[in-house]
Amino acid sequence: MKLQMVGCSHHNASTETRGRIAFSPSQAAEALARLRERWPATEAVLLSTCNRIELYTAAEEDDATPSHQQVVEFFAEFHGLATIDVFDDLFERSGEDAVRHLFTVAASLDSMVLGEAQILAQVKQAYELATKQASVGPLTNQAFQAALKVAKRVATETSINEKRVSIPSVAVSDFAKNIFERFDDKRILLIGAGEMGEETLTYLKSEGARDIVVVNRSHDRAVALAENFGGRAEQWEFLPQLLVDADLVITTTGATEPIVTLADFEKIEAERFQRDLFILDLAVPRDFDPAIGDCTGVYLYSIDDLQEACRRNRAERDRELPQALTIVETETARFMADLHHRATAPIIKRLKQGWQQPKEDELRRLFNKLPELDDKSRAEIAESFERLINKLLHPPLESLRDESRHGVPHGLMDALKRLFRLKE
Amino acid sequence: MLAGISLTCFTASYAVALLLEITRMWFRSGLRGVLMLGFAAAGVLAHTIYLGKRATESIGTPLSSEFDWYLIAAWALAAVYLGWTFRQQLAVNERRTAVGIFLLPLVLGLVAVGYYFGGRQPLAREVASISWVRIHLTCLALGFVSVLVGFVTGIMDLVQAYRLKRKLAPQQGLRLPSLEWLERAGVRSVYASFVLLTLGLLTGVILNMVNGQFPWSDPTVLRFAVVVAWQTAATTFLSLYRPARQGRKTAYVTIATAVVVLLSLSLGHLLPSRHGAPRKETGDRRLETGASEFSSLQSPVCSLHVRVLSNLEGTRT
Repeated sequence: MKLQMVGCSHHNASTETRGRIAFSPSQAAEALARLRERWPATEAVLLSTCNRIELYTAAEEDDATPSHQQVVEFFAEFHGLATIDVFDDLFERSGEDAVRHLFTVAASLDSMVLGEAQILAQVKQAYELATKQASVGPLTNQAFQAALKVAKRVATETSINEKRVSIPSVAVSDFAKNIFERFDDKRILLIGAGEMGEETLTYLKSEGARDIVVVNRSHDRAVALAENFGGRAEQWEFLPQLLVDADLVITTTGATEPIVTLADFEKIEAERFQRDLFILDLAVPRDFDPAIGDCTGVYLYSIDDLQEACRRNRAERDRELPQALTIVETETARFMADLHHRATAPIIKRLKQGWQQPKEDELRRLFNKLPELDDKSRAEIAESFERLINKLLHPPLESLRDESRHGVPHGLMDALKRLFRLKE
Repeated sequence: MLAGISLTCFTASYAVALLLEITRMWFRSGLRGVLMLGFAAAGVLAHTIYLGKRATESIGTPLSSEFDWYLIAAWALAAVYLGWTFRQQLAVNERRTAVGIFLLPLVLGLVAVGYYFGGRQPLAREVASISWVRIHLTCLALGFVSVLVGFVTGIMDLVQAYRLKRKLAPQQGLRLPSLEWLERAGVRSVYASFVLLTLGLLTGVILNMVNGQFPWSDPTVLRFAVVVAWQTAATTFLSLYRPARQGRKTAYVTIATAVVVLLSLSLGHLLPSRHGAPRKETGDRRLETGASEFSSLQSPVCSLHVRVLSNLEGTRT
């Protein structure tokens, strides 16, 4: 029985390398079909995201799965690359390490942004695609189902997926998402072209934001930035009207005085009809007069407000990370024990079958000797014999289960075979 | 076993679910979600059986007494909570919200109020089972539930807005839905309650107009008319005044609507009313017998006029 993973992630491979060996959904389907053709006894699931490309394979027989070298060759051949170009970027995990890795990935503990929610959906999609392609089997089914369970445990028993630690992510996750239910119908206005503004836009895009407007004193810079995010650039003089239409404003200019004073905003406020407005003032010094935060429906956050939330989240996440890792460890151990215990199934079956025949013989003999027994009494006696067998078998079966925690219990299985003369 | 289901069974289930909700503020647990769902489901199931039993027994039909009326309103809110909890339990990455902390006390409160009015006489089965009466009472009950849902969203909206204004990060176990969601739900609840309570009023008017008599000056009719007038004003305010549909005004409207409805209900218990009492001058013996039976009937929002019902349904009374 073998379970392995060959692939790369943001930890060890550059964006360019990941881009070269990434699989689109249609390519992934084709790759799974080709794998099935080449290694028919192998189960396979291919996980391909921006940050990782990982192929999980499994088979009942150890030599039925492709080796590390073969997977690298397969990837290179599929993408028309030389094997040597990608060999160093693809690492391998096998057995318990592969299981632990899958659980860690699904629980978003291996993600670039720890605790981000997208990876779980991507793991699910990869598993569903493999199921559709009929490339999954008992081992991968068990492993991926368990991975989804681990992710759920980590999500419910820790707050790791809720705690963001960068200012833009906290702004979006802890505050913007408490104001707006969705972002695809919201007007996002970016004032200035600061790095943090760009980063915030990245988070908002991942939450579905589509209507993005960039305004900057240098219009060319605004145009370039807007193009990056699929938005549009506007001239600086239209700022008041843009503020009327905006739902969420991110401002990061280098101005030394506020660019929007309370008096300016009061003129805008009347035209907004008290619609909620979330302002992220990430500029130092501030771009919006702090008094604007007292206006009805305005939620004005400065970089200091967000930094405090980041600090709190970081402390909480540090407290919770060990707990999340413990969940992964516990579930890995449980999964491996179950996996090892599967190997003992044929022995258990033979052991049970071996005791059935003597039971049947003894019952027949007894019933022949006591013909006066009615059906009810016979059923009671048969049940009693069955219970006796179960009780006698219980200790060896428990010992097998206990030993399975440390690997396939070959020694114990051999001993049982010899003690009870179990034939293959 | 079903015969043993009492008020205590589902009240205790809801109370345990509420306690479990409250403990979310202090610690996290994977098991708690399942337990909360289990207790809520057990509560709703027992509640349903209890109401079903009452409906089939001779005591009365659904909504035929204040006791049933409040219990059905509590059941509807508990069902909303169960659906919400179930959806959250299925979702892995969706943020758990503390809706139960706001909704379950209301459920328990309604059960308590229902219990308080448990001793009052229900409407006779033959009257309560008339289709028009059912429509009348159902509209009123659903309208009331809608007002309560609006009240809960309004309170949560104000708490969420307060927190966001003060830049406080969500406290563990007290995460709430977004302001946008709460505002939308609040506006919808006001519209829904307006439609339902107006339909309730209209069916009541039709029931009386058929008879050619209408007790305009009766306190029950007056207070119900005030509720519908308020609802009309609130709906018009939300529809025509744009700022009212966005921001905190929605919350204020939903809370004020709940206050008006609750005040009206409270007044109903203080002011004497002939609404729902049968008229002896009809000469109908069964009706006269019914007078003693129904005279104490006080349905929370509006009770019934037996003679009108008898005219509507021909010979039934």
